[in-house]
Amino acid sequence: MTRQYEVVYIFDSALEEATINERLTRFNALIQKEGIEPPQVSHWGKRTLAYPVKKHETGYYVVAKFDADATALPEFERAIKLDEGVLRFLVVVSEGAQPVPVTAGKSDEEDDE
Amino acid sequence: MRRPQKTCAICESGVRVVDFKDERTLSRFLTERGKILPSRLSGTCARHQRQLSTAIKRARQLALLPYIKGFGG
Repeated sequence: MTRQYEVVYIFDSALEEATINERLTRFNALIQKEGIEPPQVSHWGKRTLAYPVKKHETGYYVVAKFDADATALPEFERAIKLDEGVLRFLVVVSEGAQPVPVTAGKSDEEDDE
Repeated sequence: MRRPQKTCAICESGVRVVDFKDERTLSRFLTERGKILPSRLSGTCARHQRQLSTAIKRARQLALLPYIKGFGG
């Protein structure tokens, strides 16, 4: 059974964009199958972490949404875990369709009622 | 005397599912030290309070929100 998942990666911000993209295609290849749409990847870019992770103060955030079979996930997660360039990641079941690409960080508008 | 019912800020904004990636909205439901505000104080409805707490905990794992604010610089 396929479900929609969402994964957030935090890459080492010292990595170059090309390296990150190469890693992403490698991870995506693990969950991809024919007949399933390719993951929607959105790059948030470099952001300051709320607290240091593995002695890094900044990280490069990438969010991806994908449909995958639950059986493909352990292998996928293992591959990410082994990657030294990924500081942290989180895979969750995506709930509801609400594509809100948050490009937060610098902009300071607040929507108060 | 009963206090008037506070209204849920998330219901009012028309959001059905709270997104853990939207840390600016989530930070409105934290104390100044970074604890999750009780619904007693924030007025959120039970459903959204549950979603909020999960979302805040996820955001903390991803270093979008701090576990403790103002600790150790």
